[in-house]
Amino acid sequence: MLSFALRRMLAAVPLILGVATLVFIALSLVPGDPALIYLRPGVSPEVLERIRETMGLDDPLGIRYGKWLWAFLHGDFGYSHFYQMPVRARVLAALPNTLLLASGALFLSFLIGVLVGVLQAVKRGSLLDSVLSGVTLFFYSIPSFWLALMLILIFSLGIWGGPFSFPVSGSTSPGAALLSPWDQLTDRLHHLVLPTLTLTLILTGGVARYVRTSMLEVIQQDYIRTARAKGLPESKVILKHGLRNGLIPVVTLFGVYFPFLLSGAVLIEVVFAWPGMGRLMLEAIHSRDYPVVLAGTFLFGVMVVLGNLLADLLYGVVDPRIRERRG
Amino acid sequence: MKRSLSFLLFFALSTTACVGEPGDGSGVGLQDAFCGPAMARVDSFMATFAGQEPVGERYGGTVVLGSLGDVSGMGPGDAISVEAAQHQQFLNFMTLIEFDENLEPAPYLATSWEISEDQTELTFHLRGDVYWHDGERTTAQDVAFTYLTVINPESEYANPGYFQAYLPGEEGVEVVDPLTVKFHFNPHADILETWRNLSILPHHLLGDVPTAELARHPFGGVCPVGNGPFRFSSRSPGDSWTWEANPAFPEALGGRPYLDRYVYRVIPSHTTLMAELLAGGVDVYIQMLPNHAVMAREEPSLRVPTFPYPSIFFVAWNSRVPELADARVRRALTLGINRPQLIEGIQRGEAILLNSGIPPVHWAYDPTLEDSLRYDPDQARTLLDTAGWVDRDGDGFRENGDGAPLQIDLVYNQNQERQQVAEVMRVQLQDIGVDLRPRVLERMTYSGVITSVEREFDGALVTFETGFRIDDRDLFHSEVRDGFYAFSGTVDPELDRYLDTLQLIPDWEEALPVWQAYQLRLLEVQPYTYLYSALRRNGVNRRLQGVAMDTRGDLASIRHWWTDPQSRRTP
Amino acid sequence: MGSRVRFVLPGLPHLFRGRVLEGGVALFLWLGLLALSGLRMDRVLQAPSGDIGDWVALLTLLGVLAGVWIWSAKDEVGGGGGAPGGSVGSRGVSVEGWRVFRKDPMAMAGLGIVLAFYLAMLLAPFLAPFEPEARGAFEVGGDMALRLAAPSSTHLMGTDQYSQDVLSRILYGARISLTVGLLAVGLSLTIGVFLGAIAGYLGGRIDTSIMRFVDMVMAFPRLVLLLAIVALFQPSILVIVLALAFTQWPFTTRMVRGEILALKGREFSEAAHALGFSRRRILFMHLLPNAMGPVIVVATLGIGNIILLEAGLSFLGLGVRASTPSWGFMLFEGWDYMMDAWWVAAFPGLAIVLVVLAFNLVGDGLRDALDPRQREGRSQ
Repeated sequence: MLSFALRRMLAAVPLILGVATLVFIALSLVPGDPALIYLRPGVSPEVLERIRETMGLDDPLGIRYGKWLWAFLHGDFGYSHFYQMPVRARVLAALPNTLLLASGALFLSFLIGVLVGVLQAVKRGSLLDSVLSGVTLFFYSIPSFWLALMLILIFSLGIWGGPFSFPVSGSTSPGAALLSPWDQLTDRLHHLVLPTLTLTLILTGGVARYVRTSMLEVIQQDYIRTARAKGLPESKVILKHGLRNGLIPVVTLFGVYFPFLLSGAVLIEVVFAWPGMGRLMLEAIHSRDYPVVLAGTFLFGVMVVLGNLLADLLYGVVDPRIRERRG
Repeated sequence: MKRSLSFLLFFALSTTACVGEPGDGSGVGLQDAFCGPAMARVDSFMATFAGQEPVGERYGGTVVLGSLGDVSGMGPGDAISVEAAQHQQFLNFMTLIEFDENLEPAPYLATSWEISEDQTELTFHLRGDVYWHDGERTTAQDVAFTYLTVINPESEYANPGYFQAYLPGEEGVEVVDPLTVKFHFNPHADILETWRNLSILPHHLLGDVPTAELARHPFGGVCPVGNGPFRFSSRSPGDSWTWEANPAFPEALGGRPYLDRYVYRVIPSHTTLMAELLAGGVDVYIQMLPNHAVMAREEPSLRVPTFPYPSIFFVAWNSRVPELADARVRRALTLGINRPQLIEGIQRGEAILLNSGIPPVHWAYDPTLEDSLRYDPDQARTLLDTAGWVDRDGDGFRENGDGAPLQIDLVYNQNQERQQVAEVMRVQLQDIGVDLRPRVLERMTYSGVITSVEREFDGALVTFETGFRIDDRDLFHSEVRDGFYAFSGTVDPELDRYLDTLQLIPDWEEALPVWQAYQLRLLEVQPYTYLYSALRRNGVNRRLQGVAMDTRGDLASIRHWWTDPQSRRTP
Repeated sequence: MGSRVRFVLPGLPHLFRGRVLEGGVALFLWLGLLALSGLRMDRVLQAPSGDIGDWVALLTLLGVLAGVWIWSAKDEVGGGGGAPGGSVGSRGVSVEGWRVFRKDPMAMAGLGIVLAFYLAMLLAPFLAPFEPEARGAFEVGGDMALRLAAPSSTHLMGTDQYSQDVLSRILYGARISLTVGLLAVGLSLTIGVFLGAIAGYLGGRIDTSIMRFVDMVMAFPRLVLLLAIVALFQPSILVIVLALAFTQWPFTTRMVRGEILALKGREFSEAAHALGFSRRRILFMHLLPNAMGPVIVVATLGIGNIILLEAGLSFLGLGVRASTPSWGFMLFEGWDYMMDAWWVAAFPGLAIVLVVLAFNLVGDGLRDALDPRQREGRSQ
């Protein structure tokens, strides 16, 4: 198993580098000069020329690529001209925020989604099934930034007489550093509620429907009928025999959602002013902050590979046939 | 087995490579070596003031200001951004002089100054009671160091042109004694303006740093030690900056500011900003949208300081293009654009019509020109007819003698105001038979298109924050026709003469007639259609008092701001 | 009731026979379209001289009127029971499936909404009370008060910042949103099914290389790609469709591959193999049709997903900029007014939610209806 994992990861290295190279080329094709971030008369062209020189933009493409690749392989992600700090520091500042938001949402949405999906499968055709279907589909159909604003209007501004008053945006309150550790934690959680709620509502819909489908397929199988015929109670039938097989596709879904942990939910981050990776990438692309974009792409690629790997490994855990085949 | 081992080894190696020593580009090591001790010294100096907090009900509280974009940094290269410049000159650092409410120069870091009779020397006498946030005294050495740094293009300071009349290099500055500094230059205009917004840098911290490395030095983005009324506390990149009151700020200038803390928050959406302002999450919302300003004025807990601002919004016509080479055509376009309607509809009436590139707050602004080029579609049509553009095929748009249509490609970067202006202009110009084609470009692409030598556009919507020092040379002088800002590609000897002379006249009274002649000539040549100068509207929570926002800047009075003790934000 | 009369009003006889749903819908549709033609007679008469959109609207109007009438008459003549003869075999799947689908109220509601939107989209030139591009306030002598007007009896959904009628823009905007959805999904489906089927069935090296390629595409950050496209090209409909399709096809490929893999192990597949059918025949004639069920489901859901993606892209400023805006673009333009003139963005948003929900309901219903295992279960 370990060698399988390692082999996959190593195979992924050229893949990720390939993607990063493509992104590098794509960025170099896009018109627009990072040195032109601010344009005002009086800003002498020499200064802009100087900036371009420092950023190495005057070198031919091949050399720029070579320099970047060499530094990259040594762990040097470069310097972000837009944020005036090393790229690594910039990314490390944004990464925990995204991980916090996304892992919370992923965890909750899978938890709730599986519960709802199984429930729907068991109670198939009942009113509960229809209602849950409607609700999950509804949240699955809303644009995320839309839902985000709705939640802000209801729970932060209390537009329709809502009882709660959550912060509108941001990940911490100003001056939070002065609070006691406990208060800091509560403050963070307080800020985390609405963005996580938004993301969870949206993801849960997809998970629940997926689980429901999968469980329904399983329930119709012969061996389930056999188990029933054997006289086992329904709950045991579903949970012991059905669940394990029903969850196999869900594992794949998790692998698909995993990179999400990193790309972040850009739209939600913009509406909630959440300082995460999604916003970072967006701003970096807008200001042509190449080193940041490339670092982000690299990380994203890593997450995709890890996600696939995780899904495949879990697949092996859950489905013994595959485990045997793999050796 | 062997294969697995080698794989493992390779993998381990590559992992360490990723986590190992950074190369010189990333500068993480330098950051720790510089910022660690620097901030430690600041902390220990600040600690000596503990327990000496001034008493008074105005003291205390935190203020949060929200805006769309991040402050890029506190280094000289960052002053290119107006947001960053404001935080540098009003919060973190001190400038030699400042403007009072009447826009007259007032003492700040300098207690007094003299300009020599022949207008070639400027001497500043500095305060003796200004300390850097780490305890060192601010001296003339710092001023000289700052000057030498910014005139060096390697510092990436954006406006070295301000000093072009100064004597080169070290000849331009002289440290007479620790509190007196003298500058040497050739007579030129707006001598003091530069010193109003140049933040002084600490020589004792940055003196050893090669200028070329200053732009990437952690000082700018991670640990900017200053001497202003507020001292830098922390920064979360892309998210917020936090400053705290400086207890060592000179008593004569007001002493420690009332506010305990000032937080700048980056909120990338206007709608979220408005929601935060309404919810009380931010106290100040900078540069509100016109419709949000209307909303805010109806909120009892908010008020909206509205004031003129040194910025101009115009359409740059590329006269290299055959359709726009004729000044009559450009003039007709100006006459055919209903600018009052734009102001009324898009800025809700809160903008001042412009007929030149000089904003109304500038001393050289000529109010007699306000009525020039009033909206007159009939005259526009006549002008176009005279210039040979007539609708020959009855499609509603004009063509010239060769049948080429009067089609104008107008570029702009995405922004609510520009999009609306472009669309409305299209309808208005359609009325006089001009086919205006707005084309939206992504921000950086737009910057690239209008500044590249190819100039692949016919017209462009541009906004400039001009500040108080206007120098249109880069825009209109024939010598720099291929330069960055020569959008119009104008070649006019009379304009050249004015542009060359204006920068050399130090005396305002002497310069005024030249300015007026310059503006009149601009009207005749019409390289641009100047649209308007929008008023600045900021949303301020009423619990915040002492806020005087005006042309000097949103943060000009920051050290006098205080919060109502009843509704103070804590911590 | 005279037999002649029955032919005049479609739906009426069905109502009398107790088939309320079909009768009601037919009657309502027919009368509604007639009323529309009457109210907008001037517009209808102008249509032949208008642009292609007007032609489409006219043809749709006449087509639907005629179609409903013919269907009703045929049904009447054919005995009223309306039971289409079913045939066994793979064709029977669709007939049988339709039966199941019809019984599912949610799915039918979804289908109804989808069809209603498409009809509205086609008939937009007649339905829309105003021209979508009428900048009344900014025309010569226009009235600024028309801008950002709240919903009223003249403007049911209010006006936007250019004083354009929101309802009309939504009707016309449906063209872009719905078209982009269909085209992008169609394209990604074609590619995905093809590649996924090959990968799943042939396995081995081909499978691996295709899946590696899929991985690579999935590892490519969408945002970078889309921004590069927007910056390099004008984001026309074609460009956005291609970009969206490009980001969607990997998921389809994986799904199809998974289905084929699962089906490969089934008895009927092994039986076909034993019978000596060629691999291509097995794949395209036996496996794929059975895999099509989930694929169609994925397609229908994919449309909803694409519409949401397009809205998201527009929100970031990277979306379609045709002369008629898409709903996503209307959201983008109206977002700044959400706090005061909420209707400018709220109604396009509702339209999006409704359409996506409808597609998802249909997709759900299709899945329930087409799944052979579930049908087996039901026959118990």
